[in-house]
This record gives sequence, structure tokens and C-alpha cells, in this order.
Amino acid sequence: MEQIYLTIALAPLVGAIFAGFFGSLLGRMATTVITIAGVLISTVLSFYVFNHHVLEGGEVFNQNLYTWMQIGELNISVGFLIDNLTAIMLVVVSFVSLMVHIYTIGYMHDDAGYTKFFSYISLFTFSMFMLVMSNNFMQLFFGWEAVGLVSYLLIGFWHHKESAVEANLKAFLVNRVGDFGFLLGIALVLMYFGSLDYVEVFASLGNVTGVTMLDGTSVITVICILLFIGAMGKSAQVPLHVWLPGSMEGPTPISALIHAATMVTAGIFMVSRMSPMFELSETALIVVMVVGAITALFMGLLGIVQNDIKKVVAYSTLSQLGYMTVALGVSAYSVAIFHLMTHAFFKALLFLAAGSVIVALHHKQDIREMGGLRKKMPITYWTSLVGTLALIGFPGFAGFYSKDMIIEAVHFSQLPFSDWVYVAVVIGVFITAFYSLRMFFLVFHGESRMDEHTASHVKESSISITLPLVALAIPSALIGYLTIDPMLFNGWLDNAITVAANHTSMASLEANFHGANGMIPHALQTLPFWMMVGGIASAWVLTLYRSQWADWIQKKFHRSNYVLESLYGFDRFNDIVFVGGIKKLGNFLWKVSDSGLIDKILVNGSARFVGFIASIVRPIQTGYVYHYAFFMIVSLLIILTWVLFAGDNPLLEL
Amino acid sequence: MVSLSDYLILSSVIFCIGLVGIFVNRTNIITLLMCVELILAAVNTNFIAFSHFLGNEAGQIFVFFILTVAAAEVAIGLAILTLLFRVRGSIDVDVTNSLKG
Amino acid sequence: MGSEQIIFYFLSFWLIASSLAMIFSRNAAKAVLFLVLSFFSVASIWILLEAEFLAITLILVYVGAVMVLFLFVIKMLNIDKSTLRAKFAGYLPLGLIVALIIIAEMTLVLGNAQFGLDVMPAPARHGADYSNITELALQLYTTYVYPFELAAVLLLIAIIAAITLVHKKEINRKQQSISEQVNVRAKDRVRIVSITSPSKENK
Repeated sequence: MEQIYLTIALAPLVGAIFAGFFGSLLGRMATTVITIAGVLISTVLSFYVFNHHVLEGGEVFNQNLYTWMQIGELNISVGFLIDNLTAIMLVVVSFVSLMVHIYTIGYMHDDAGYTKFFSYISLFTFSMFMLVMSNNFMQLFFGWEAVGLVSYLLIGFWHHKESAVEANLKAFLVNRVGDFGFLLGIALVLMYFGSLDYVEVFASLGNVTGVTMLDGTSVITVICILLFIGAMGKSAQVPLHVWLPGSMEGPTPISALIHAATMVTAGIFMVSRMSPMFELSETALIVVMVVGAITALFMGLLGIVQNDIKKVVAYSTLSQLGYMTVALGVSAYSVAIFHLMTHAFFKALLFLAAGSVIVALHHKQDIREMGGLRKKMPITYWTSLVGTLALIGFPGFAGFYSKDMIIEAVHFSQLPFSDWVYVAVVIGVFITAFYSLRMFFLVFHGESRMDEHTASHVKESSISITLPLVALAIPSALIGYLTIDPMLFNGWLDNAITVAANHTSMASLEANFHGANGMIPHALQTLPFWMMVGGIASAWVLTLYRSQWADWIQKKFHRSNYVLESLYGFDRFNDIVFVGGIKKLGNFLWKVSDSGLIDKILVNGSARFVGFIASIVRPIQTGYVYHYAFFMIVSLLIILTWVLFAGDNPLLEL
Repeated sequence: MVSLSDYLILSSVIFCIGLVGIFVNRTNIITLLMCVELILAAVNTNFIAFSHFLGNEAGQIFVFFILTVAAAEVAIGLAILTLLFRVRGSIDVDVTNSLKG
Repeated sequence: MGSEQIIFYFLSFWLIASSLAMIFSRNAAKAVLFLVLSFFSVASIWILLEAEFLAITLILVYVGAVMVLFLFVIKMLNIDKSTLRAKFAGYLPLGLIVALIIIAEMTLVLGNAQFGLDVMPAPARHGADYSNITELALQLYTTYVYPFELAAVLLLIAIIAAITLVHKKEINRKQQSISEQVNVRAKDRVRIVSITSPSKENK
């Protein structure tokens, strides 16, 4: 089995190396074949691993494969921990990655950096596998940083576009802030547990529960909050969310792969993996829940006023990540992973569909200039419909099951603030439905608002683009129905996730579960369903039926509109406070400290001081021989006197 | 009887007169050179006095060589003086101050 | 007071007086002549000390050659005729004090206590057939022959140095450089040009 795990991890790496270094030599065809073959191998093997571990109940695999370094008593190695959680993540990551690889053939067909792109996405797949399969914090951090790096490379893929370069720098720096907290958390883990291996740390949790630091805060709480800060950076929670909309500057395939399905879910995965630790700290769980709720609600609101098709989906991603985080906060870890899985499928689908529209319209992205694409791009239309219905939680589709479970879990949670969080996530359903359908109607229905030239060229995209769309639409529709029972309640994730006995959300959920079939009619009685219907209806009215009402609302609430359109001012705040502050500090250090103090006073000043002393001493050299002779004679006299009368052995006594 | 110390004191007096001559003299460089000769003469007297009182000829041999060196030094010194006169036009001691700092 | 002492003090007096006169005289030629007088006194003292050869050598070489050389230079540069201001004022008191202190200290060291007659008795005078030259020569050409040769080389160097220093190079003198003449190449001197003769052009 060890070989299989290694192959899963290394096959995309081999593809990445070939495509990266020899891409121009091998040509497009060969590069495509090699990289897709690598990811295909990983996908097939991931399904095999899933089958072995989850369906057949295989043993958990935890082994160190290679000792990276041994520092005193600390052993840092490359190792794999394969349990059910890992297996599920492997399937999700590899399948979405394979779809994106196939999609890229058509999407990046005209781009000059075709082979480079394949190399990067294969490299990303490798990094994500290493992150997911790791069995210690150091390898987790390695995978963490590696996905961040590849994300940077890919966002700035079109590096001649200035906005892309700014966006990738922003993504990297904001992630860095999160990683700083993450690293502090790992350091504390090392300090208090003495090891970085998951199993060893979880085994010795009992020793550290009573220990406190920073006048009274429990160490576990501090560690959990710091680790969550890392998750906030990677999974784009408020306030470290500012990079995700900017990351839409990259090509659409990577928005699907990285910023919808895999990298941003790394934070969620990490918190689930650390569930034994988080369960011991209620404070951390409250923080997680509240931050997730804020993100879910407020980012959803921002999705309403976006006009770029990719930005709408980006804010939708942010909002759904908030939902996952809320699920983590109420100790419903398996629900969070469930939503992660379904979200990966339908969000990737939505992004790829958006990309299909963009390619058909020759890279136009403003939804106000689209419309009526239903007839011209049927496959894209139907798959987008499936994805949108899944996103808004239409009964029967995947998103319905996962989202409703989250809302129910919050409802049953006993944590403080959970009531406010419940209100927030329920309102979020309305908002999600509203912006999703707004975008759907504006793009595919109604009159065509495209210009003549674009309208004449619109046609359905090539098979390499539509095949992944269909392949992703199928799980978006069905996977919720098929897997909700086993994943949440029948122990698919039992050997990976620990829930404390006093966090009863999961238990209550199980008690109230009527089965996948039973949930659909039951939904008609729940508030979220009617919120969703309300959202659909409002979107239809305001976009198709009476769009002038939408303009009237925008004028009437222009202040709220301004707040939303300026994205709550996060970017301006960061710019003024952090960037401006550092610039001022840099200026000060340059002018005062470096130039004034060191250069002028210390360096030049010491030179001038030497010159000053020299100018005093110089006049002794008069140039006259008799002066020199005089000095010599006087010196002789002094020496004579010294030798005769003073000194150690005077020749004469006075 | 004249004791050794009389000769030695005499030679030291001549030595000091020569020293004073070097840095009191403001007239010209020739006087400087002549004071150097005086000093050498005083030292020679010292040697010969010791040679006489100790009965050892080594002192006189040494004076022999000092005379040789003094003669060579005068020759070269006067050659330099001639050059200096050619360049500067006078041999006033105040003229030779171009090495001042 | 023995006759020896009287002679000694007489000679010392003239020595000191002429030295002082030398350094305080304004005329360079007079200074040279006073120096000559000093050297004569010194030579006489050396004879008193039974170093006859050296005393005569002093007169012959030093006074006869070196002082004469001084006079040559003085006359050549016309120093005695030019008016030179003698500036003594500044350093004289200081110099005298320094000199007196040095003499006092040296007297302390070289005085009667250390080198008086009881410590260092006067040696017996040599007989009439004592030849100072022979004694010196016996030492000079056996034990000290190497420094003797070196002294000869030193004098040679002094001659060469003195000549080189004052030697004036004549200007406007063309000299042959043999090496350049030998290293000349044909193409530095000759260039072959082809010219068509006018008679051929006209044809």
C-alpha cells in the first residue's frame, strides 16, 4: 500500500517536472499527455484507496517514510497518515484536479504559456496531496506553503497584466499573515508537546489540558486560535479574505481548482484534522464559529453587487467557506467535510461554466453585457443550472443536504452566540439564492445585451471544456443524496474525527435524521427552504420581470450600496494602515537613521574628526631642521635625566 | 696630573657647544655642517682619552674610521648644499622648509 | 699644578673660545677659520694624549682638506659677501639652559667620583722609541683589516655620490641609441608606392 500512496503523491510531481523543464522541448501534445496521465493515475489510485479505507474498512496507515532531520530529540520526517478523512480528501482533490486538467486543454488553447500552466497545476496537485496525506505538522506546513506558492505563481500567470501582479502579491502577503499565526501555533505545539507528529501530540493532549499561559489562558486555546489564524489566511475568512477576489485575475481553471475546491479548503481540512485538540477548547470553537458566521453573512452580501461573473462566484466561495467554518465551530466536523466535498464539486462546476461563457464571449466578463445565452450554449446552460441549484440548496441536490445539515447543527448547538449565528446562516441562504439566481438570470436568460460582434461569435465551447462540466454536474446532483448517511452518521469519518461528549450537535443531528429521502419533504417545513424560495423569487422579479425596481432600490439605498461596493473598506484600511505605516517607517529609517545617523554622523563624522585631530597635530612639522634638532636634543635630555635619576635602576642617587 | 674625567668633561662641553650651535644658528647651513664637525671632534677626543688611559689601541682605530666617515659626509653634504643653492638661490636656513606639514 | 695641567687648561681655553666664536660669528669665512683654530687645539690635546698619528692626520686631512673644501664652497657661493641676518634672539636662552643642564648631568656621570685619578690612574708614559704609527698599523692591518677595506669602499661611494649629485647634464645633446638603430625594420623607413609612368598613360 505504501507504494500506492507514494505513487499518488509523486505522479503529478513527475508530470510537473516534465512539463516545467522540458515542456518547450516536448511540445504541447506530449506535455498534455504526460501531465494528464500523472493526474489520472493519482485519481484512479485515490479511488482505490478510498475503496480500501472507507468502503472496506482498511486499517489506518501511519508511517514515516523518510527522516528529513533529527534535531536532538525532535524527529522531523516525511510520513503519511492515511485514514478515512485523508481518503475522502484525496478523492475530491484528484477528481477536481483531473477535471481541471482536461478543461485546460480547451481553455488555454490559445495561450503561449500552455505547458507552464500544466506544470503549475500538476505541481499544485502534488502539494495538496502532501498536505492532505501528512502525518506531522512540519509536512503539513510544507504543503501549506507549497500550495500558497503555486497559487501565487498561478494568479500572476499573465504577468504582463499589472492587476494580476498586484493580486498575486496581495494573495501571498495576506497568506503570509495567516501563516505567521500558523507557525506560532506549530511552535507552541512543539514547545508544549515536544513533538510534531500528529499521533504523539494527540496522545499527550491530556498532559497539557491544565497548563496555562499569558495570565490564565489555556495553552490549548492559544494553540487552537493560532492554528485557526492560519486557516483564516488560507480559507479566506474575514479579515484575511481580501486576497480571494483579487485571485480572480488568474485564469479560470485555477479559480476552479485552487480557489474553490482545494486550496481554500486546506484550512477546513486542517481544523478537522486537529479536532481532538479543538474539542478541548470551547473558546477557540466559539471564535471559529463567530468568524465563520461573519464571513458567511457579509461576504454573501457583497456578492449581490458584483458585476464580474467570476467575482460573483468568488464571493459565493467566501460565503460558503464561512458556512464550513461555522460547522467546524459547532463541532460538526463531518458536516463541514461533507459540505467541503459537495462544495468542491458544484463550485468547481460553476467556475468552469463561467470560464466556458468567458471563452465563448472572447474573454468578456461583465454580466451586465451578457444575456440570453440559454439557446446558444445549451450544455453550459444545463450544467450551470445544476450547479446553481446545488449551491442554493434546492432540495435533492448536493448542496441542499450539506447546507441544511450545517444550519441544523447550529440550531442544536449549545455554544454562546449560536443563536446569532443561526440567524446569520439562515439569512445567508436567502442572500445566496438571490445573488446566484441574479447572476444566472442575467447571464443566460432575458434579452441579449451583447454587442453585435460578440453575439455573432457565440457558440458552445469545445468538448474539452464541456466534458468536465458534465462530469462535475453529476456529483453535484447526486453525491449529497448518496453519501449523507454514511459520511455523517455511519462512521465514514469516525477514525479521523473526535467529538467531545458535551458538544452534542452531531448527536442531536443524528437523532433528528430522517434519512436522505425523508429530508426532502421535511424541507418544506423548514425556514431555510422558504428563504431560498424567497431569494429565487426576488432575483427573478428584480432581474427579469421588473428590472427598473432594481435600479430604484439601488438609488434609494445608495449608502448601503456604497458600503457594499467598496467591499466594506477592507482594502482601503489595509492600504492606509499597514502599507502606509510601513512606508512611513521605511522612510524614517532611511532618512533619519540610515542617512542621517549612520552616514553623516558616524561614518563621515569620524572621518572629519580624524581630519580635525590631524590638523592640530600637523603644525609640529615645521620643515626647519633646527626645530627637529631641538626636539631631538630635548628628548635626549629627558632620557638622560630619566636614566640618571628616575626609573627602575637610577645610576645616581639624588 | 690630568685625570680622565677632565678630558671627558672637556669633550662633553665641546659636544654641547656643537648642539647649541645647531639650533641656535639662524645664519646659514654651512654653520650647521661645521657644528656637526665640532661634535664629531668632541667624540673623537673622548675615544682617544679612553684609549690612552686604558692602554688599548682600539679607541684610536675607531677614531680613524670616524675621521673617514666624517670626511665622506662633508663631501656629500657640501654637494647637496651646492645643489640647494642652485635651486633656491640662497642657503638661508629659513629657505629649506618645504617639507613642512 | 704640573706643566701638563697648565698646557691642558691653556689648550682647553682656546678650544672652547674658538668654538663659541665659531657659532656666534656672522661671517661664514670667519667661522671656518675659527673652526680651524679649534681643530688645531684638538690636535694638540691629542698629542698630549700620545695619539700622534691621529693628531697629524687631523691636521692634514681634516683641516687641510675638509676645511679647505668649506672655504671653496663659501667663496664659490659668495656667502661671506652677501648680507645675512643673524637671528639669535628666540632660541638662545632656551638653548643655553638646555646645554647647561646637559653639561651638568654629564659632569655628574663623568666626574671625579667615577673617572678620577684614584679610580683610573694615569698610565705610564711611553718611551722615546715608541712609535704610535707602528702600533696602530699592527692593529689596523690584522685585526681590523675588514673595516679598513670597507672604509675605502665608503670613500669611493662618497666620491661617486658627490659627483653624481652636482653633475649637470648638457642639454641639446644628441646621443646615439645603438639598440634602436639595430632594431629598425624596413617598413619603418621605406614605403613602396606604385605610380604609373605618364608615357604609358598616354598610349
